[in-house]
Amino acid sequence: MMVYKSILRVSSKLLIPPILLFALYVQFHGDFGPGGGFQAGVIFASAFILYALIFGIDTARRVVTGWAVRLLLAGGALLYSGVGVAGLVLGGNYLNYSVLADDALVGQHLGIFLVEFGVGSVVAAAMITIFFTFAGYRNSPGESLPEESGPEED
Amino acid sequence: MIYGATVAALLVIMGLSLVRAFKGPTVYDRMVAANTFGTLTVITLAVYGFMRGRPEFLDIALVYAVINFIGTIAVAKFVKFSHLGHPAGDDHGGDI
Repeated sequence: MMVYKSILRVSSKLLIPPILLFALYVQFHGDFGPGGGFQAGVIFASAFILYALIFGIDTARRVVTGWAVRLLLAGGALLYSGVGVAGLVLGGNYLNYSVLADDALVGQHLGIFLVEFGVGSVVAAAMITIFFTFAGYRNSPGESLPEESGPEED
Repeated sequence: MIYGATVAALLVIMGLSLVRAFKGPTVYDRMVAANTFGTLTVITLAVYGFMRGRPEFLDIALVYAVINFIGTIAVAKFVKFSHLGHPAGDDHGGDI
């Protein structure tokens, strides 16, 4: 853990909540401005990547546990395909949003919202998984990493 | 007009910081140059967005600011520790 890097710790703690909020803004405002599910997922994951960079991979793994990542990965894809199959069941084509509600416009709003939410959760979980897997990788199990030099370099 | 001049000046400064990033004798020169380039990208996006009358570019500029900050921290950590997951504990073998 980068225990003694107080500037980095404080500034990242200040920045992580606005980053998460901005990711949610990009997710849910994507119909009116630049953004969408993919971009929001990447921004959301970048907050956790920042946390993992400052506080260590193991601490971040306790925040975003393996089952949560797996649930987001599978659940997002299931939500996406579930919306498509729901359109199929309700009498339209696959991923036809217009039949999801009584009003076609309301159905399209609902369908795009759910599909973008699925895309966002899959992308966020995939980015977090990629970073944790690669950054938590060690060349050989017994290899010791160089020790942190201590508080004198603040 | 004033926006065009500002964007042109920003592009010149970005070119200068790219020169420093490629030529920089030490890795710290390159890091500071890359960070400066990212900051200038944020400003250029904002100015260009207002020049074209599309202030939605501010959203993209915000994303650039965030990613630039995180990327600089990642590069600095990698330069210092040669490993992004420096305090790696047990070998989890990934999340999958």
